[in-house]
Amino acid sequence: MTEPIISVTDLGIQFRRNKARRRSFKDLFAGRKRRARPNQFWAFRNLTFDVAPGEAIGVVGRNGQGKSTLLKLVAGVILPDEGRVRVGAGVAPLIEITGGFVSDLSVRDNVYLTAGLHGMSKAEVAARFDEIIDFAEIQDFVDTPYKHLSSGMKVRIAFSVIAQLDEPVILVDEVLAVGDKSFREKCYRRIDELLSAGRTLFFVSHNERDLRRFCSRGLYLDKGKLVLDGPIGEVLDRYNEDYNNPTS
Amino acid sequence: MSTTTPPRPRRSRAERYRSALWLLTKRDLRVRYSTSALGYFWSILDPLVMAGIYWFVFVVVFKRDGTIGEDPYIVFLIAGLLPWMWFTGTISDSTRAFLREAKLVRSTSIPRTIWVARLVLSKGLEFLASIPVLIIFAVIFGAHANWSLVWTYPLAIILQATLVLGIGLIVAPLVVFFRDLERAVKLILRFMFYASPIVYSTLDMPKDIQSWAALNPLSGIFSLYRSGLYPEQLVAFPVIMSVIISVVVLGIGLLVFRRCERAVLKEI
Repeated sequence: MTEPIISVTDLGIQFRRNKARRRSFKDLFAGRKRRARPNQFWAFRNLTFDVAPGEAIGVVGRNGQGKSTLLKLVAGVILPDEGRVRVGAGVAPLIEITGGFVSDLSVRDNVYLTAGLHGMSKAEVAARFDEIIDFAEIQDFVDTPYKHLSSGMKVRIAFSVIAQLDEPVILVDEVLAVGDKSFREKCYRRIDELLSAGRTLFFVSHNERDLRRFCSRGLYLDKGKLVLDGPIGEVLDRYNEDYNNPTS
Repeated sequence: MSTTTPPRPRRSRAERYRSALWLLTKRDLRVRYSTSALGYFWSILDPLVMAGIYWFVFVVVFKRDGTIGEDPYIVFLIAGLLPWMWFTGTISDSTRAFLREAKLVRSTSIPRTIWVARLVLSKGLEFLASIPVLIIFAVIFGAHANWSLVWTYPLAIILQATLVLGIGLIVAPLVVFFRDLERAVKLILRFMFYASPIVYSTLDMPKDIQSWAALNPLSGIFSLYRSGLYPEQLVAFPVIMSVIISVVVLGIGLLVFRRCERAVLKEI
């Protein structure tokens, strides 16, 4: 077996149950061990798995079982409370994709900004710029302020930028639910393309068809644990068995 | 299945940090200047109007007669107000460093200190861009520059950047948990304005308070800024204190930031 591209060891993260509760100064400066945490709960604990380059992994589970959290941990946008995530290559996260866009700046500036924040150099963005705009089908709006785009266009350009990042690992968090049907098909084709080019995919979705289409392996998260790690078919069957909802 | 496309050349951490910092700094400046017609002039208009007001109050109304600060007083004021704008601007913006950019912070994995460092840098660049105003006033009112400014001015800038970054790293994550801090910071900044030698100089204070005033790192920093035009403003003790305190504050800032980072990311 080749060196894993993503390696997750004993991963755990906890959140506060009650968002409104104010923290006290004492809480903040007390040692990590001694800190009182009455309202904390573990989203999941003791997650351990490896992902080999080129694998396509689907994460399955009910709402609130930490699927998106797991994705964010792999993306490095939140940090674990225990264990660690090691990602051996660059990551293109399709998570909150429109988040990086600034409404007052033009589409052009925004593309350079977002791609740059994800690690592309100016020259690399320039080389791919036309491709990004073509993919998003917004050639006529390159110098329009981002805020004047329609919401569909916003998502299209955002997807397009991240999809062109050319990173070996792609994280997808249900963003494909947006956009019109033809654009969604286009996104799917793009993901197919990336997969056949040997990229590693990490996919969170409730859509069984999508999961079966893209993924070869499934991770089933339930009640704070990794219940099953196996071929996607088996994982989905088990999930359906547990929750008896074969369509959603 | 094997990888068919070669991955892009990985850039080093320092390189990535620098380029992300620069991108966000440029974005800040571009947003600020693309949304206002007067752009650059706002960043110098504010300190100039303030300088005008203080000049009127202290020279015309209170008839200061050369006893407080240095002559020409208007140049003395501007020399202190320009760096003050950098200080106060960065710190009050750092209260919103995470909250305003929450979506962006949640979607990129760049080192989180950049969210504060970019404020220090963009406000610092505005400060540098405002220095010509000081030069123009110094020439018009006949203040005499001396050569010591070749080292005092850059040293002051480095010290202030260190101090402001340190304070920003403390304030930015704490505000996420204690929203009240945002208002407290505004109040403290207003207090600091009069507690720091801006409209006066440390030398105007009674002798026994002067050594206490040196505990305010801004005393040393402003005395450095002014020493190029007013050599007698350069006093060793406050300068040494400001070096020590700035470095310590940055250290505390990094510590607090590291402590809070995990929780901040969950909260926003």
